[in-house]
Amino acid sequence: MSAFLNLTAILTKRTLRDPAAVFFTLAFAPFFAVVMGLIFGNQPDPQFGGLGYMDANLVNFSAIVVAIAGIVLVPIDLVGQRESGALRRFRATPLNPLTYIAADIGVRWVIALLGIVLMLLVGIFGFGASPVGSLGGVILMSALGILAFLAVGYAVTALVPTLGVAQLVGNVLVYPLIVLSGATVPLAVLPEGVRNVAVLSPLTQLVEGLQGWWLATPTWTPIVVMVGVFAVAGVVAVRFFRWE
Amino acid sequence: MSEALICEGVVKRYGDTVAVDGVSLKVVRGEVFGLIGPNGAGKTSLVECLAGLRSRDGGTVELLGLDPEVETREVRQRTGIQLQTSALPSRMKVREAVRLFASFYQRQADADLLLERLGLADKANSYVERLSGGQRQRVFIALALVNRPELVFLDELTTGLDPRARTAIWDVIEDIRDQGTTVILTTHFMEEAEKLCDRVGIIDEGKIVALDTVTGLVAGLEAPVKLSFRVEGEAPLDAIRNVGGVTAVTVRGDRVSVQGSNERFQQEVLQVLGTHGVWAQDISTERASLEQVFLELTGTEPEELAA
Repeated sequence: MSAFLNLTAILTKRTLRDPAAVFFTLAFAPFFAVVMGLIFGNQPDPQFGGLGYMDANLVNFSAIVVAIAGIVLVPIDLVGQRESGALRRFRATPLNPLTYIAADIGVRWVIALLGIVLMLLVGIFGFGASPVGSLGGVILMSALGILAFLAVGYAVTALVPTLGVAQLVGNVLVYPLIVLSGATVPLAVLPEGVRNVAVLSPLTQLVEGLQGWWLATPTWTPIVVMVGVFAVAGVVAVRFFRWE
Repeated sequence: MSEALICEGVVKRYGDTVAVDGVSLKVVRGEVFGLIGPNGAGKTSLVECLAGLRSRDGGTVELLGLDPEVETREVRQRTGIQLQTSALPSRMKVREAVRLFASFYQRQADADLLLERLGLADKANSYVERLSGGQRQRVFIALALVNRPELVFLDELTTGLDPRARTAIWDVIEDIRDQGTTVILTTHFMEEAEKLCDRVGIIDEGKIVALDTVTGLVAGLEAPVKLSFRVEGEAPLDAIRNVGGVTAVTVRGDRVSVQGSNERFQQEVLQVLGTHGVWAQDISTERASLEQVFLELTGTEPEELAA
């Protein structure tokens, strides 16, 4: 079997053996959808312009998965592997380093996307949420968002010196981003000043993008922002990534 | 080509510190070559330069006829390495790790046979991080052998292991050597070097200060050799003192100790006893060990290192 396929298989297995990674990337979004669906249901509500809670908010939950999978889990796992010397062990083989990174990103990408798809299925079939716009567009936008935030995770990995700092930076970044994104609290509820700051956050832009596709009002801005985040984070990661 | 490795004037600096200071040596195919030296002597830096894991700041290295810094891929394909600080990503099982690493190489050893050989067959489905120190170390030796390498580097492979695990690893190294693989190892256990190595280089402050077989190194020390035995009745002390090479004779109770400056005097002393009709019992000889050579050349007690 080729190195890439073998690596992908093993990295998938070890991710699925990590309860925290499974919960936050695969199970969290569907679980969150069930909890919110049970609490708020999907009755039409003037607060959401005549839509139900789930119709109006379901896609927003994706942002939570995207942020945690990228900014929290990537640095903790990879800085841990760097500190233990595991990454260095791979460097002492003929394996192309890019193959390792491609397999790692690929596995994380697919698992996180699967979590989001499961969440959409729970919302649609469990609570009657239905997309006005394109479900495919929502999934593609999610895929782009995951990729951008995995790149941010790699950039954080490259910049932080130790595992402790990686954990700190991940947690300090992720909670404000999630709260400001509108993924948990609708943006409309926040004060205007906060809202003006919130729109500058890439995670907020991702939520806007998902909303756009779900409600059939897609715009280019979120797509451009995601591509930009991916490019900038990618450059930082490539420039500063250390294997030991 | 009978040399597996030839290096000349290898230099490695970290800022102002010179870790490796002009090392030249040759390793013959099929031999076990040991590098011993105090902590911080430059063993690991040297090995990493030779293996092409670090770029050197001077000198030439020819590993299997290749420059490890230029033809890195080819060198990786044909050599194996066990790093001093080895680790694997968590939550990987032993067989998975060995198969994964094998898939990186063109030449692949059979994972199950390899695990069998290293006494890990019953641990194939265990998580690597849950193994004992000795078992974990054997996994990393397996990873160094997955490509059936022509030459394998083993850096401090028994450090931190208990004596039983250590001797088990020694058997593994002898098995590797018997399969025709050239071995370059570093250690700070003199006993390990004496047991395993065909030749030993002593490295101190980045320089090779001695390089020979263990026997050659010890002979070069010109340390006194001792012979002691127990006799019933009177020992012919004057006759013993007259044997060529004998430098001192001491008697304590019925035990006689003879010190000499060469190896031949021992047999002659025993002959003298024979001609005088005296039976020697409980004979023991004592000679300098690699440890004394090490102490003499580096001014460091090996015991301190082992702590």
